Amino acid sequence: MRQFEDDPTLTDLLQPQQVSRLESSLEALGLGRVSLTTTRHENAIPVEFNLETVAWLSGDCSQKNLRAAAELVSFILLFVAKYRLAANLHHDATEAGYEELQRKHEALKASEARYRTLSDQLQEKVKEQVETIQKAQQELYESAKTRSVGQLAAGIAHEINNPIGFMKSNLKVAGDYLDELEEKLPGDEATRDLLNDFRDLLAESQDGARRIATIVADLKTFSSIDHAEYTHCRINDLLKAAIHLLRTSYSDRDLAIDERLGELPDIQGNPARLSEAFYNVLDNAVRAIDEEGRIIVKTATDSSGNIAVVIQDNGCGIPEASRGQVFDPFYTSRPVGSGTGLGLTVARDTVRAHNGLIKLESRLNAGTRITLLLPSKH
Amino acid sequence: MADYCSDDNRLNLKVVFYGPALSGKTTNLMQLHTLLMPERKGELMVLETRDDRTLFFDMLPIGLRGSSGLDLRLKLYTVPGQVQHDSTRKAVLSRADGIIFVADSLSAQQDNNAIAFGNLEENLEKVGLDIEALPLVIQFNKRDMADIVAEDVLQERWGPTPWSPLQMASAINGTGVVDTFRALLDRLYSVADNEFRLAERHGIDRAAFVDRLSAGDAHAPV
Ligand SMILES: Nc1nc2c(ncn2[C@@H]2O[C@H](COP(=O)(O)OP(=O)(O)O)[C@@H](O)[C@H]2O)c(=O)[nH]1
Ligand SMILES: [Mg+2]
Repeated sequence: MRQFEDDPTLTDLLQPQQVSRLESSLEALGLGRVSLTTTRHENAIPVEFNLETVAWLSGDCSQKNLRAAAELVSFILLFVAKYRLAANLHHDATEAGYEELQRKHEALKASEARYRTLSDQLQEKVKEQVETIQKAQQELYESAKTRSVGQLAAGIAHEINNPIGFMKSNLKVAGDYLDELEEKLPGDEATRDLLNDFRDLLAESQDGARRIATIVADLKTFSSIDHAEYTHCRINDLLKAAIHLLRTSYSDRDLAIDERLGELPDIQGNPARLSEAFYNVLDNAVRAIDEEGRIIVKTATDSSGNIAVVIQDNGCGIPEASRGQVFDPFYTSRPVGSGTGLGLTVARDTVRAHNGLIKLESRLNAGTRITLLLPSKH
Repeated sequence: MADYCSDDNRLNLKVVFYGPALSGKTTNLMQLHTLLMPERKGELMVLETRDDRTLFFDMLPIGLRGSSGLDLRLKLYTVPGQVQHDSTRKAVLSRADGIIFVADSLSAQQDNNAIAFGNLEENLEKVGLDIEALPLVIQFNKRDMADIVAEDVLQERWGPTPWSPLQMASAINGTGVVDTFRALLDRLYSVADNEFRLAERHGIDRAAFVDRLSAGDAHAPV
Protein backbone atom coordinates (compact mmCIF):
# COMPACT_ATOMS: atom_id res chain seq x y z
CA MET A 1 0.00 0.00 0.00
CA ARG A 2 1.29 3.44 -0.83
CA GLN A 3 1.84 5.71 2.16
CA PHE A 4 1.10 9.38 2.10
CA GLU A 5 4.78 10.10 2.63
CA ASP A 6 6.13 8.03 -0.24
CA ASP A 7 8.25 10.19 -2.50
CA PRO A 8 6.08 11.50 -5.32
CA THR A 9 7.02 11.03 -8.96
CA LEU A 10 6.47 13.63 -11.65
CA THR A 11 3.31 11.88 -12.78
CA ASP A 12 2.02 11.91 -9.17
CA LEU A 13 2.50 15.66 -9.09
CA LEU A 14 1.49 16.86 -12.55
CA GLN A 15 -0.99 15.65 -15.16
CA PRO A 16 0.44 15.21 -18.72
CA GLN A 17 -1.46 18.28 -19.95
CA GLN A 18 -0.09 20.30 -17.00
CA VAL A 19 3.42 19.20 -17.99
CA SER A 20 2.69 20.34 -21.57
CA ARG A 21 1.41 23.65 -20.30
CA LEU A 22 4.53 24.17 -18.19
CA GLU A 23 6.72 23.31 -21.15
CA SER A 24 4.96 25.81 -23.45
CA SER A 25 5.13 28.52 -20.75
CA LEU A 26 8.89 27.98 -20.51
CA GLU A 27 9.14 28.00 -24.32
CA ALA A 28 7.26 31.31 -24.36
CA LEU A 29 9.96 32.70 -22.09
CA GLY A 30 12.43 32.09 -24.92
CA LEU A 31 14.02 28.83 -23.82
CA GLY A 32 13.51 27.23 -27.19
CA ARG A 33 12.07 23.66 -27.36
CA VAL A 34 11.66 22.60 -23.78
CA SER A 35 10.89 19.12 -22.51
CA LEU A 36 10.24 17.97 -18.98
CA THR A 37 10.48 14.18 -18.71
CA THR A 38 11.00 11.46 -16.19
CA THR A 39 13.79 9.92 -18.24
CA ARG A 40 17.12 11.50 -18.89
CA HIS A 41 17.83 13.17 -22.27
CA GLU A 42 21.08 14.36 -23.63
CA ASN A 43 21.97 17.75 -22.23
CA ALA A 44 19.12 17.55 -19.69
CA ILE A 45 19.61 18.78 -16.17
CA PRO A 46 17.92 17.27 -13.09
CA VAL A 47 14.95 18.88 -11.40
CA GLU A 48 15.38 18.13 -7.70
CA PHE A 49 12.66 17.95 -5.22
CA ASN A 50 13.16 16.79 -1.65
CA LEU A 51 16.49 15.12 -2.34
CA GLU A 52 14.88 13.36 -5.26
CA THR A 53 15.40 13.88 -8.96
CA VAL A 54 11.81 13.95 -10.05
CA ALA A 55 12.35 15.01 -13.64
CA TRP A 56 14.84 16.00 -16.32
CA LEU A 57 14.65 19.32 -18.10
CA SER A 58 16.14 20.04 -21.48
CA GLY A 59 15.86 23.02 -23.78
CA ASP A 60 17.50 24.81 -26.71
CA CYS A 61 19.11 27.42 -24.49
CA SER A 62 22.14 28.13 -22.34
CA GLN A 63 22.89 25.93 -19.32
CA LYS A 64 22.48 29.01 -17.11
CA ASN A 65 18.96 29.65 -18.34
CA LEU A 66 18.14 25.97 -18.10
CA ARG A 67 19.29 25.86 -14.48
CA ALA A 68 17.13 28.88 -13.69
CA ALA A 69 14.19 27.19 -15.35
CA ALA A 70 14.84 23.98 -13.37
CA GLU A 71 14.86 26.02 -10.15
CA LEU A 72 11.57 27.59 -11.16
CA VAL A 73 10.06 24.17 -11.87
CA SER A 74 11.15 22.74 -8.51
CA PHE A 75 9.77 25.84 -6.79
CA ILE A 76 6.41 25.18 -8.44
CA LEU A 77 6.64 21.49 -7.58
CA LEU A 78 7.18 22.32 -3.91
CA PHE A 79 3.69 23.81 -3.69
CA VAL A 80 2.15 21.06 -5.76
CA ALA A 81 3.81 18.49 -3.51
CA LYS A 82 2.72 20.28 -0.37
CA TYR A 83 -0.86 20.05 -1.52
CA ARG A 84 -0.44 16.40 -2.59
CA LEU A 85 1.14 15.41 0.70
CA ALA A 86 -1.58 17.16 2.67
CA ALA A 87 -4.29 15.60 0.53
CA ASN A 88 -2.78 12.12 0.85
CA LEU A 89 -2.37 12.47 4.58
CA HIS A 90 -5.91 13.72 4.87
CA HIS A 91 -7.06 10.71 2.90
CA ASP A 92 -5.06 8.28 5.06
CA ALA A 93 -6.21 9.89 8.28
CA THR A 94 -9.83 9.97 7.21
CA GLU A 95 -9.67 6.36 6.09
CA ALA A 96 -8.16 5.29 9.40
CA GLY A 97 -10.70 7.44 11.23
CA TYR A 98 -13.51 5.85 9.25
CA GLU A 99 -12.24 2.36 9.99
CA GLU A 100 -12.03 3.17 13.65
CA LEU A 101 -15.53 4.62 13.51
CA GLN A 102 -16.78 1.40 11.98
CA ARG A 103 -15.02 -0.64 14.61
CA LYS A 104 -16.62 1.54 17.26
CA HIS A 105 -19.95 1.17 15.52
CA GLU A 106 -19.63 -2.62 15.60
CA ALA A 107 -18.63 -2.51 19.24
CA LEU A 108 -21.59 -0.26 19.95
CA LYS A 109 -23.93 -2.64 18.14
CA ALA A 110 -22.56 -5.55 20.14
CA SER A 111 -23.00 -3.70 23.38
CA GLU A 112 -26.49 -2.64 22.36
CA ALA A 113 -27.35 -6.28 21.74
CA ARG A 114 -25.92 -7.13 25.14
CA TYR A 115 -28.04 -4.46 26.75
CA ARG A 116 -31.11 -5.69 24.91
CA THR A 117 -30.68 -9.25 26.23
CA LEU A 118 -29.98 -7.76 29.62
CA SER A 119 -33.15 -5.75 29.45
CA ASP A 120 -35.10 -8.85 28.36
CA GLN A 121 -33.68 -10.78 31.27
CA LEU A 122 -34.52 -7.90 33.52
CA GLN A 123 -38.10 -7.90 32.29
CA GLU A 124 -38.27 -11.65 32.90
CA LYS A 125 -36.90 -11.09 36.41
CA VAL A 126 -39.44 -8.35 37.08
CA LYS A 127 -42.21 -10.69 35.96
CA GLU A 128 -40.90 -13.40 38.27
CA GLN A 129 -40.67 -10.95 41.14
CA VAL A 130 -44.21 -9.74 40.55
CA GLU A 131 -45.41 -13.35 40.60
CA THR A 132 -43.49 -14.01 43.79
CA ILE A 133 -44.99 -10.93 45.39
CA GLN A 134 -48.49 -11.88 44.26
CA LYS A 135 -48.03 -15.35 45.67
CA ALA A 136 -46.69 -13.98 48.92
CA GLN A 137 -49.66 -11.65 49.15
CA GLN A 138 -52.01 -14.51 48.44
CA GLU A 139 -50.37 -16.61 51.14
CA LEU A 140 -50.45 -13.73 53.54
CA TYR A 141 -54.12 -13.27 52.86
CA GLU A 142 -54.75 -16.96 53.30
CA SER A 143 -52.75 -17.27 56.46
CA ALA A 144 -54.48 -14.22 57.89
CA LYS A 145 -57.79 -15.76 56.97
CA THR A 146 -56.85 -19.13 58.41
CA ARG A 147 -55.59 -17.47 61.52
CA SER A 148 -58.71 -15.43 62.04
CA VAL A 149 -60.94 -18.46 61.43
CA GLY A 150 -58.77 -20.40 63.83
CA GLN A 151 -58.92 -17.67 66.44
CA LEU A 152 -62.67 -17.38 66.08
CA ALA A 153 -63.04 -21.15 66.37
CA ALA A 154 -60.74 -21.29 69.37
CA GLY A 155 -62.60 -18.41 70.99
CA ILE A 156 -65.97 -20.05 70.44
CA ALA A 157 -64.66 -23.41 71.61
CA HIS A 158 -63.33 -21.84 74.76
CA GLU A 159 -66.54 -19.92 75.45
CA ILE A 160 -68.74 -22.91 74.80
CA ASN A 161 -66.61 -25.42 76.68
CA ASN A 162 -67.41 -24.03 80.13
CA PRO A 163 -71.19 -23.63 79.85
CA ILE A 164 -71.45 -26.98 78.07
CA GLY A 165 -69.46 -28.49 80.90
CA PHE A 166 -71.78 -27.31 83.63
CA MET A 167 -74.82 -27.93 81.44
CA LYS A 168 -73.72 -31.56 81.07
CA SER A 169 -73.10 -32.05 84.77
CA ASN A 170 -76.29 -30.12 85.67
CA LEU A 171 -78.28 -32.31 83.33
CA LYS A 172 -76.83 -35.39 84.97
CA VAL A 173 -77.62 -34.06 88.45
CA ALA A 174 -81.10 -33.10 87.22
CA GLY A 175 -81.57 -36.76 86.19
CA ASP A 176 -80.57 -37.89 89.71
CA TYR A 177 -82.99 -35.36 91.22
CA LEU A 178 -85.70 -36.76 88.97
CA ASP A 179 -85.07 -40.24 90.37
CA GLU A 180 -85.40 -38.84 93.91
CA LEU A 181 -88.57 -36.95 92.98
CA GLU A 182 -90.14 -40.09 91.53
CA GLU A 183 -89.99 -41.81 94.92
CA LYS A 184 -91.69 -38.89 96.63
CA LEU A 185 -94.42 -38.33 94.08
CA PRO A 186 -97.66 -40.31 93.85
CA GLY A 187 -97.33 -43.23 91.44
CA ASP A 188 -100.41 -42.45 89.37
CA GLU A 189 -100.52 -42.81 85.60
CA ALA A 190 -100.49 -39.09 84.81
CA THR A 191 -97.51 -38.37 87.06
CA ARG A 192 -95.56 -41.31 85.61
CA ASP A 193 -96.22 -40.09 82.08
CA LEU A 194 -95.05 -36.62 83.07
CA LEU A 195 -91.85 -37.98 84.65
CA ASN A 196 -91.07 -40.19 81.64
CA ASP A 197 -91.53 -37.28 79.36
CA PHE A 198 -89.28 -35.23 81.64
CA ARG A 199 -86.64 -37.97 81.50
CA ASP A 200 -86.80 -38.05 77.69
CA LEU A 201 -86.34 -34.30 77.58
CA LEU A 202 -83.30 -34.53 79.85
CA ALA A 203 -81.81 -37.39 77.81
CA GLU A 204 -82.27 -35.44 74.56
CA SER A 205 -80.66 -32.38 76.14
CA GLN A 206 -77.76 -34.51 77.38
CA ASP A 207 -77.31 -35.96 73.92
CA GLY A 208 -77.39 -32.45 72.44
CA ALA A 209 -74.81 -31.26 74.94
CA ARG A 210 -72.57 -34.19 74.10
CA ARG A 211 -72.85 -33.38 70.42
CA ILE A 212 -71.99 -29.77 71.06
CA ALA A 213 -68.94 -30.91 73.04
CA THR A 214 -67.80 -33.08 70.09
CA ILE A 215 -68.20 -30.23 67.64
CA VAL A 216 -66.18 -28.02 69.93
CA ALA A 217 -63.44 -30.65 70.11
CA ASP A 218 -63.42 -30.94 66.30
CA LEU A 219 -63.25 -27.20 65.96
CA LYS A 220 -60.24 -27.20 68.22
CA THR A 221 -58.51 -29.82 66.12
CA PHE A 222 -59.46 -28.01 62.96
CA SER A 223 -58.19 -24.67 64.03
CA SER A 224 -55.24 -26.31 65.81
CA ILE A 225 -54.64 -23.14 67.68
CA ASP A 226 -52.30 -25.07 69.95
CA HIS A 227 -49.80 -25.74 67.15
CA ALA A 228 -49.84 -23.02 64.55
CA GLU A 229 -46.51 -23.96 62.95
CA TYR A 230 -45.06 -27.21 61.66
CA THR A 231 -45.50 -30.18 63.89
CA HIS A 232 -46.33 -33.89 63.71
CA CYS A 233 -49.58 -34.33 61.84
CA ARG A 234 -51.89 -37.31 61.85
CA ILE A 235 -53.42 -36.93 58.45
CA ASN A 236 -56.24 -39.42 59.16
CA ASP A 237 -57.26 -37.52 62.30
CA LEU A 238 -57.24 -34.22 60.44
CA LEU A 239 -59.37 -35.77 57.69
CA LYS A 240 -61.86 -37.20 60.23
CA ALA A 241 -62.18 -33.82 61.92
CA ALA A 242 -62.70 -32.13 58.57
CA ILE A 243 -65.34 -34.70 57.58
CA HIS A 244 -67.10 -34.24 60.89
CA LEU A 245 -67.12 -30.50 60.50
CA LEU A 246 -68.45 -30.95 56.96
CA ARG A 247 -71.30 -33.16 58.15
CA THR A 248 -72.14 -30.56 60.79
CA SER A 249 -72.12 -27.75 58.25
CA TYR A 250 -74.38 -29.79 55.99
CA SER A 251 -76.56 -31.16 58.79
CA ASP A 252 -79.62 -30.75 56.56
CA ARG A 253 -78.16 -33.37 54.19
CA ASP A 254 -77.35 -36.98 54.81
CA LEU A 255 -73.88 -37.13 53.26
CA ALA A 256 -72.63 -40.49 52.02
CA ILE A 257 -68.95 -40.26 52.81
CA ASP A 258 -67.01 -43.46 52.56
CA GLU A 259 -63.87 -43.31 54.69
CA ARG A 260 -61.21 -45.76 53.56
CA LEU A 261 -58.33 -44.60 55.65
CA GLY A 262 -55.17 -46.62 55.55
CA GLU A 263 -52.41 -46.94 58.13
CA LEU A 264 -50.30 -43.73 57.86
CA PRO A 265 -47.09 -42.49 59.41
CA ASP A 266 -47.10 -39.05 60.99
CA ILE A 267 -45.68 -36.32 58.81
CA GLN A 268 -44.39 -32.85 59.49
CA GLY A 269 -46.89 -30.20 58.54
CA ASN A 270 -49.08 -27.32 59.49
CA PRO A 271 -52.24 -29.02 60.83
CA ALA A 272 -54.39 -25.92 60.58
CA ARG A 273 -53.59 -25.36 56.95
CA LEU A 274 -53.82 -29.04 56.02
CA SER A 275 -57.22 -29.29 57.74
CA GLU A 276 -58.42 -26.31 55.82
CA ALA A 277 -57.12 -27.78 52.57
CA PHE A 278 -58.93 -31.07 53.18
CA TYR A 279 -62.07 -29.24 54.18
CA ASN A 280 -61.98 -27.14 51.03
CA VAL A 281 -61.57 -30.15 48.76
CA LEU A 282 -64.32 -32.02 50.59
CA ASP A 283 -66.56 -28.98 50.46
CA ASN A 284 -66.05 -28.86 46.72
CA ALA A 285 -67.00 -32.51 46.43
CA VAL A 286 -70.17 -32.00 48.46
CA ARG A 287 -71.18 -29.12 46.23
CA ALA A 288 -70.65 -31.30 43.16
CA ILE A 289 -72.93 -34.15 44.21
CA ASP A 290 -76.71 -34.39 44.52
CA GLU A 291 -78.76 -36.40 47.05
CA GLU A 292 -77.70 -39.68 45.38
CA GLY A 293 -74.01 -38.70 45.31
CA ARG A 294 -71.23 -40.40 47.14
CA ILE A 295 -67.83 -39.24 48.32
CA ILE A 296 -64.90 -41.56 48.87
CA VAL A 297 -61.99 -40.45 51.05
CA LYS A 298 -58.95 -42.72 50.72
CA THR A 299 -55.53 -42.52 52.27
CA ALA A 300 -52.50 -44.63 51.55
CA THR A 301 -48.73 -44.54 51.93
CA ASP A 302 -45.79 -45.91 49.99
CA SER A 303 -42.60 -47.53 51.28
CA SER A 304 -40.89 -44.15 51.71
CA GLY A 305 -43.68 -42.83 53.89
CA ASN A 306 -45.13 -40.49 51.28
CA ILE A 307 -48.84 -40.01 51.72
CA ALA A 308 -51.61 -39.89 49.14
CA VAL A 309 -55.01 -38.48 50.03
CA VAL A 310 -57.69 -39.15 47.45
CA ILE A 311 -61.01 -37.36 47.63
CA GLN A 312 -63.35 -38.58 44.95
CA ASP A 313 -66.96 -37.82 44.11
CA ASN A 314 -69.41 -39.04 41.50
CA GLY A 315 -70.83 -35.59 40.99
CA CYS A 316 -71.23 -33.26 38.04
CA GLY A 317 -67.53 -33.08 37.15
CA ILE A 318 -65.64 -30.10 35.87
CA PRO A 319 -65.89 -29.05 32.22
CA GLU A 320 -62.61 -29.51 30.40
CA ALA A 321 -62.36 -25.82 29.54
CA SER A 322 -62.41 -24.85 33.22
CA ARG A 323 -60.05 -27.56 34.48
CA GLY A 324 -57.00 -25.37 34.02
CA GLN A 325 -58.59 -22.57 36.02
CA VAL A 326 -59.98 -24.33 39.05
CA PHE A 327 -56.78 -23.63 40.93
CA ASP A 328 -56.80 -19.97 39.91
CA PRO A 329 -57.50 -17.55 42.71
CA PHE A 330 -61.11 -16.36 42.63
CA TYR A 331 -62.19 -18.86 40.04
CA THR A 332 -65.53 -20.26 41.01
CA SER A 333 -68.05 -22.31 39.06
CA ARG A 334 -70.68 -21.49 41.61
CA PRO A 335 -72.89 -18.43 41.71
CA VAL A 336 -71.11 -15.36 42.89
CA GLY A 337 -71.48 -14.91 46.64
CA SER A 338 -71.66 -18.58 47.52
CA GLY A 339 -67.96 -18.80 48.23
CA THR A 340 -64.74 -16.93 47.92
CA GLY A 341 -63.50 -19.10 45.07
CA LEU A 342 -60.25 -19.53 46.88
CA GLY A 343 -60.94 -23.07 48.10
CA LEU A 344 -58.85 -25.05 45.64
CA THR A 345 -56.22 -22.33 45.34
CA VAL A 346 -55.65 -22.53 49.07
CA ALA A 347 -55.56 -26.33 48.91
CA ARG A 348 -52.97 -26.21 46.12
CA ASP A 349 -50.83 -23.59 47.86
CA THR A 350 -50.93 -25.54 51.10
CA VAL A 351 -49.91 -28.78 49.39
CA ARG A 352 -47.13 -26.94 47.57
CA ALA A 353 -45.99 -25.36 50.81
CA HIS A 354 -45.59 -28.93 52.05
CA ASN A 355 -43.58 -29.72 48.90
CA GLY A 356 -46.44 -31.84 47.68
CA LEU A 357 -48.52 -32.11 44.56
CA ILE A 358 -52.19 -31.76 43.85
CA LYS A 359 -53.74 -33.60 40.92
CA LEU A 360 -57.13 -33.12 39.40
CA GLU A 361 -58.92 -35.67 37.27
CA SER A 362 -62.47 -35.06 36.20
CA ARG A 363 -65.07 -36.28 33.78
CA LEU A 364 -68.14 -34.25 33.06
CA ASN A 365 -71.24 -35.80 34.69
CA ALA A 366 -69.13 -38.67 36.02
CA GLY A 367 -67.20 -37.16 38.86
CA THR A 368 -63.98 -35.62 40.07
CA ARG A 369 -60.96 -37.10 41.79
CA ILE A 370 -58.50 -34.91 43.58
CA THR A 371 -55.28 -36.48 44.79
CA LEU A 372 -53.10 -34.71 47.30
CA LEU A 373 -49.60 -36.12 47.51
CA LEU A 374 -47.65 -35.21 50.64
CA PRO A 375 -44.02 -36.24 50.88
CA SER A 376 -42.73 -37.73 54.13
CA LYS A 377 -39.92 -35.17 54.26
CA HIS A 378 -39.55 -31.69 52.82
CA MET B 1 9.46 1.45 9.87
CA ALA B 2 12.71 2.04 8.10
CA ASP B 3 12.40 1.42 4.45
CA TYR B 4 15.43 0.07 2.55
CA CYS B 5 15.24 -0.33 -1.18
CA SER B 6 18.09 -2.46 -2.49
CA ASP B 7 17.44 -1.54 -6.14
CA ASP B 8 18.46 2.08 -5.61
CA ASN B 9 20.48 1.30 -2.45
CA ARG B 10 18.36 3.80 -0.60
CA LEU B 11 17.36 3.89 3.08
CA ASN B 12 14.52 6.07 4.33
CA LEU B 13 14.27 6.84 8.03
CA LYS B 14 11.55 8.81 9.73
CA VAL B 15 11.78 10.92 12.86
CA VAL B 16 8.68 12.47 14.38
CA PHE B 17 8.52 15.48 16.69
CA TYR B 18 5.63 14.73 19.05
CA GLY B 19 4.19 16.68 21.96
CA PRO B 20 1.38 18.90 23.21
CA ALA B 21 0.12 21.83 21.16
CA LEU B 22 2.38 24.92 21.14
CA SER B 23 5.31 23.21 22.88
CA GLY B 24 7.64 24.28 20.05
CA LYS B 25 7.79 21.31 17.65
CA THR B 26 7.56 23.46 14.54
CA THR B 27 10.07 25.90 16.02
CA ASN B 28 12.49 23.00 16.58
CA LEU B 29 12.17 21.94 12.97
CA MET B 30 12.58 25.48 11.63
CA GLN B 31 15.69 25.88 13.75
CA LEU B 32 17.11 22.63 12.43
CA HIS B 33 16.44 23.85 8.91
CA THR B 34 18.38 27.00 9.70
CA LEU B 35 21.17 25.50 11.80
CA LEU B 36 21.90 22.28 9.98
CA MET B 37 24.07 22.05 6.97
CA PRO B 38 24.07 18.33 6.25
CA GLU B 39 25.34 17.08 2.92
CA ARG B 40 21.87 17.03 1.57
CA LYS B 41 18.94 19.12 2.72
CA GLY B 42 15.54 19.48 1.09
CA GLU B 43 12.93 22.17 1.40
CA LEU B 44 11.17 22.73 4.70
CA MET B 45 7.52 22.16 4.15
CA VAL B 46 5.29 23.89 6.64
CA LEU B 47 1.62 23.13 6.42
CA GLU B 48 -0.11 25.40 8.83
CA THR B 49 -3.38 27.22 9.16
CA ARG B 50 -3.66 30.96 9.19
CA ASP B 51 -3.21 31.18 12.96
CA ASP B 52 0.21 29.54 12.71
CA ARG B 53 -0.97 26.29 14.13
CA THR B 54 0.21 23.15 12.44
CA LEU B 55 -2.73 21.69 10.56
CA PHE B 56 -1.21 18.59 9.01
CA PHE B 57 2.50 18.39 9.68
CA ASP B 58 5.83 20.01 8.89
CA MET B 59 8.49 18.09 7.05
CA LEU B 60 12.18 18.52 6.44
CA PRO B 61 14.18 15.92 4.49
CA ILE B 62 17.92 15.65 5.00
CA GLY B 63 20.35 13.00 3.86
CA LEU B 64 23.85 11.69 3.28
CA ARG B 65 25.60 9.16 1.10
CA GLY B 66 27.54 6.16 2.36
CA SER B 67 30.76 4.81 0.85
CA SER B 68 28.71 2.03 -0.74
CA GLY B 69 26.72 4.68 -2.52
CA LEU B 70 23.93 4.26 0.07
CA ASP B 71 21.42 7.06 -0.32
CA LEU B 72 20.38 7.61 3.32
CA ARG B 73 17.49 9.93 3.88
CA LEU B 74 16.04 11.16 7.11
CA LYS B 75 12.63 12.77 7.04
CA LEU B 76 11.79 14.92 10.02
CA TYR B 77 8.10 15.40 10.71
CA THR B 78 6.11 17.33 13.28
CA VAL B 79 2.58 16.41 14.25
CA PRO B 80 -0.26 18.78 15.06
CA GLY B 81 -0.54 18.92 18.85
CA GLN B 82 -4.19 19.85 19.19
CA VAL B 83 -6.33 17.10 20.60
CA GLN B 84 -8.76 17.09 17.69
CA HIS B 85 -6.09 16.14 15.14
CA ASP B 86 -5.51 12.70 16.59
CA SER B 87 -6.09 10.80 13.37
CA THR B 88 -3.52 13.00 11.59
CA ARG B 89 -1.09 12.38 14.43
CA LYS B 90 -1.56 8.67 14.09
CA ALA B 91 -1.03 8.77 10.31
CA VAL B 92 2.22 10.76 10.70
CA LEU B 93 3.38 8.55 13.55
CA SER B 94 2.94 5.30 11.66
CA ARG B 95 6.23 3.71 10.59
CA ALA B 96 8.30 6.19 12.63
CA ASP B 97 11.91 5.18 13.38
CA GLY B 98 12.51 7.70 16.13
CA ILE B 99 10.58 10.18 18.27
CA ILE B 100 11.55 13.51 19.75
CA PHE B 101 8.99 14.37 22.38
CA VAL B 102 8.93 18.14 22.81
CA ALA B 103 7.48 18.93 26.24
CA ASP B 104 6.59 22.40 27.46
CA SER B 105 8.61 23.50 30.51
CA LEU B 106 5.93 25.87 31.79
CA SER B 107 4.61 24.69 35.16
CA ALA B 108 1.07 25.20 33.95
CA GLN B 109 1.61 22.85 31.01
CA GLN B 110 2.65 19.73 32.92
CA ASP B 111 -0.78 18.14 32.68
CA ASN B 112 -0.77 18.70 28.94
CA ASN B 113 2.66 17.09 28.70
CA ALA B 114 1.36 14.04 30.52
CA ILE B 115 -1.73 13.85 28.36
CA ALA B 116 0.32 14.16 25.18
CA PHE B 117 2.77 11.50 26.36
CA GLY B 118 -0.14 9.18 27.18
CA ASN B 119 -1.52 9.88 23.72
CA LEU B 120 1.87 9.01 22.22
CA GLU B 121 1.95 5.69 24.07
CA GLU B 122 -1.59 4.94 22.98
CA ASN B 123 -1.02 5.85 19.34
CA LEU B 124 2.27 3.95 19.14
CA GLU B 125 0.40 0.89 20.25
CA LYS B 126 -2.32 1.53 17.69
CA VAL B 127 0.16 1.84 14.82
CA GLY B 128 1.99 -1.24 16.06
CA LEU B 129 5.18 0.33 17.44
CA ASP B 130 6.84 -0.64 20.70
CA ILE B 131 7.71 2.38 22.82
CA GLU B 132 10.38 0.35 24.64
CA ALA B 133 12.20 -0.47 21.43
CA LEU B 134 11.77 2.85 19.65
CA PRO B 135 14.57 5.48 19.85
CA LEU B 136 12.96 8.27 21.86
CA VAL B 137 14.37 11.49 23.26
CA ILE B 138 12.50 13.89 25.50
CA GLN B 139 13.15 17.60 25.28
CA PHE B 140 11.86 20.20 27.74
CA ASN B 141 11.54 23.36 25.68
CA LYS B 142 11.07 27.04 26.55
CA ARG B 143 13.81 27.05 29.21
CA ASP B 144 14.05 30.84 28.62
CA MET B 145 10.68 31.44 30.21
CA ALA B 146 9.70 32.22 33.81
CA ASP B 147 7.35 29.88 35.74
CA ILE B 148 9.00 26.75 34.48
CA VAL B 149 9.66 23.52 36.33
CA ALA B 150 13.28 23.39 37.54
CA GLU B 151 15.62 21.12 35.63
CA ASP B 152 16.75 19.02 38.62
CA VAL B 153 13.10 18.36 39.46
CA LEU B 154 12.47 17.20 35.90
CA GLN B 155 15.62 15.10 35.70
CA GLU B 156 14.79 13.41 38.95
CA ARG B 157 11.21 12.77 37.93
CA TRP B 158 12.27 11.16 34.64
CA GLY B 159 15.42 9.58 36.07
CA PRO B 160 14.07 6.05 36.41
CA THR B 161 12.69 5.99 32.84
CA PRO B 162 14.57 4.69 29.80
CA TRP B 163 14.44 8.22 28.35
CA SER B 164 16.73 9.84 30.92
CA PRO B 165 18.56 12.19 30.72
CA LEU B 166 16.20 14.82 29.41
CA GLN B 167 17.25 17.44 26.88
CA MET B 168 16.76 21.10 27.80
CA ALA B 169 16.09 23.60 25.04
CA SER B 170 15.02 27.04 24.13
CA ALA B 171 14.01 26.39 20.58
CA ILE B 172 13.11 29.97 19.93
CA ASN B 173 16.74 30.91 20.60
CA GLY B 174 18.06 27.82 18.88
CA THR B 175 19.69 26.41 22.03
CA GLY B 176 19.41 22.71 22.77
CA VAL B 177 17.77 21.99 19.45
CA VAL B 178 20.78 20.42 17.72
CA ASP B 179 21.84 18.63 20.94
CA THR B 180 18.39 17.08 21.19
CA PHE B 181 18.61 16.04 17.58
CA ARG B 182 22.08 14.54 18.07
CA ALA B 183 20.88 12.59 21.12
CA LEU B 184 18.13 11.12 18.97
CA LEU B 185 20.54 10.36 16.12
CA ASP B 186 22.74 8.51 18.57
CA ARG B 187 19.90 6.29 19.70
CA LEU B 188 18.60 5.90 16.18
CA TYR B 189 22.01 4.74 14.98
CA SER B 190 22.01 1.78 17.35
CA VAL B 191 18.75 0.50 15.92
CA ALA B 192 19.50 1.31 12.28
CA ASP B 193 23.02 -0.14 12.40
CA ASN B 194 21.67 -3.29 13.97
CA GLU B 195 19.18 -3.75 11.20
CA PHE B 196 21.05 -2.39 8.15
CA ARG B 197 24.72 -2.90 9.11
CA LEU B 198 25.50 0.75 8.38
CA ALA B 199 29.11 0.52 9.50
CA GLU B 200 29.87 -2.85 8.00
CA ARG B 201 28.20 -2.52 4.64
CA HIS B 202 28.04 1.19 4.01
CA GLY B 203 30.97 2.60 5.92
CA ILE B 204 28.84 4.76 8.20
CA ASP B 205 29.89 4.48 11.82
CA ARG B 206 28.15 6.08 14.76
CA ALA B 207 30.19 9.27 14.78
CA ALA B 208 29.76 9.71 11.03
CA PHE B 209 26.05 9.14 11.26
CA VAL B 210 25.56 11.65 14.08
CA ASP B 211 28.06 14.25 12.95
CA ARG B 212 27.29 14.26 9.28
CA LEU B 213 23.50 14.39 9.75
CA SER B 214 23.75 17.14 12.34
CA ALA B 215 26.53 19.09 10.69
CA GLY B 216 25.96 22.79 10.91
CA ASP B 217 27.85 26.01 10.38
CA ALA B 218 29.67 25.35 13.62
CA HIS B 219 30.58 21.76 12.70
CA ALA B 220 31.47 22.17 9.09
CA PRO B 221 31.01 18.98 7.07
CA VAL B 222 34.07 16.82 6.99
N1 LIG C 1 9.63 31.60 24.94
C1 LIG C 1 9.70 30.61 24.08
N2 LIG C 1 8.73 30.45 23.17
C2 LIG C 1 8.80 29.41 22.32
C3 LIG C 1 9.88 28.51 22.37
N3 LIG C 1 9.70 27.57 21.40
C4 LIG C 1 8.55 27.92 20.76
N4 LIG C 1 8.01 29.04 21.32
C5 LIG C 1 6.78 29.72 20.93
O1 LIG C 1 5.68 28.88 21.23
C6 LIG C 1 4.68 29.03 20.24
C7 LIG C 1 4.36 27.67 19.63
O2 LIG C 1 5.46 27.17 18.93
P1 LIG C 1 5.29 26.09 17.77
O3 LIG C 1 6.65 25.71 17.33
O4 LIG C 1 4.36 26.59 16.73
O5 LIG C 1 4.63 24.95 18.61
P2 LIG C 1 4.06 23.57 18.08
O6 LIG C 1 2.58 23.64 18.20
O7 LIG C 1 4.63 22.56 19.01
O8 LIG C 1 4.52 23.34 16.67
C8 LIG C 1 5.20 29.99 19.22
O9 LIG C 1 4.69 31.26 19.50
C9 LIG C 1 6.70 29.96 19.46
O10 LIG C 1 7.29 31.18 19.12
C10 LIG C 1 10.91 28.69 23.35
O11 LIG C 1 11.90 27.97 23.46
N5 LIG C 1 10.76 29.77 24.18
MG1 LIG D 1 3.47 23.00 14.94
